[in-house]
Amino acid sequence: MPQVTVLYQDSETKVEPARVDGDQLWLTLSGLEAATGWDLEPEGVCKGGVCVPVPAARRPALINDDLFNLTEFADLIQQPVVHDENHSVWYFGPAGWEWKSRLTSRHAPDFTLLDVAGRPHSLSDLLGKKVFLLFWASW
Amino acid sequence: MLTVACDARGSTAVEPFIAAAHQQHPSVIDQKLLVAELYDTRNVPAAFWIDENGRMVRAADPIYAQRRNRETGEVTINTDYLDAVRDWVARGKNSRFVMDASRIDSRLPDLDFDDVTAAANFHLGTYLAQRGEAADALVYFKRAHALRPENWTYKRQAWSFGDIERDYGTNFQEALKDPASGPFYPPLDLTD
Repeated sequence: MPQVTVLYQDSETKVEPARVDGDQLWLTLSGLEAATGWDLEPEGVCKGGVCVPVPAARRPALINDDLFNLTEFADLIQQPVVHDENHSVWYFGPAGWEWKSRLTSRHAPDFTLLDVAGRPHSLSDLLGKKVFLLFWASW
Repeated sequence: MLTVACDARGSTAVEPFIAAAHQQHPSVIDQKLLVAELYDTRNVPAAFWIDENGRMVRAADPIYAQRRNRETGEVTINTDYLDAVRDWVARGKNSRFVMDASRIDSRLPDLDFDDVTAAANFHLGTYLAQRGEAADALVYFKRAHALRPENWTYKRQAWSFGDIERDYGTNFQEALKDPASGPFYPPLDLTD
């Protein structure tokens, strides 16, 4: 099959899909890990110490032999998905546990971005100081 | 002080402004607008005050410290806001301009699935437009605008990729009057 582009928030991966069925995107397990970092473990679908258990009732829609339905998984973890058929691009937003708790603690979320010279700056570099954080744009 | 340019056109678009400002502080570029999403930045400018422990003590102020009128060239300085910043720098948590938890929460309402779906459509549109597919991006930008008409970041960034009248059948002045959009800038509110 022709490659598809998977935009998993800030990562962009071209991957050969196992199957595209309308709005459903199936990947091989190696494709899954390459595009998203998620891996199938006995405990569930895991990444970086987080494991999402797979309810038995949803298992057939999610896992078929060694194929994994990434869009069904997005539904399970309340991730928004948008798909452009013409360009074979899939965008996956944050999981429910991320977007539901994002700003509720009033803790300023950390981030790292580059300046025009390509140097990285993180908000957390400024811990211990008061920070005036300003968003702007040219538009 | 840390400034974040939320600009899908990246350094080409923002570098002239950064150079002209002769900034002494870090100035970074959020070309994917993911940090703008993280802070629910619905228009720019938006300012946040963050204390020494990384806690927000004011959120989403729609603020210009200094503003130049495009027609007359006249520059106005928002001394009330600058004095408020100075007061916070001097007094910290005892500044009367520090917001309590409930006021910060009201500036940053809980997100629902429509919010994140609007963001996903906006990001896919941005991705396509950045790759020269602005016409194909329109459907996603329009979905984001329909789901969250009050988000001016989604509109103004999308408009910058094409022609607002041709692509969206409106213009800036008309869009400002659209009741679904709500205020372009909510009131600053420097009261206690």
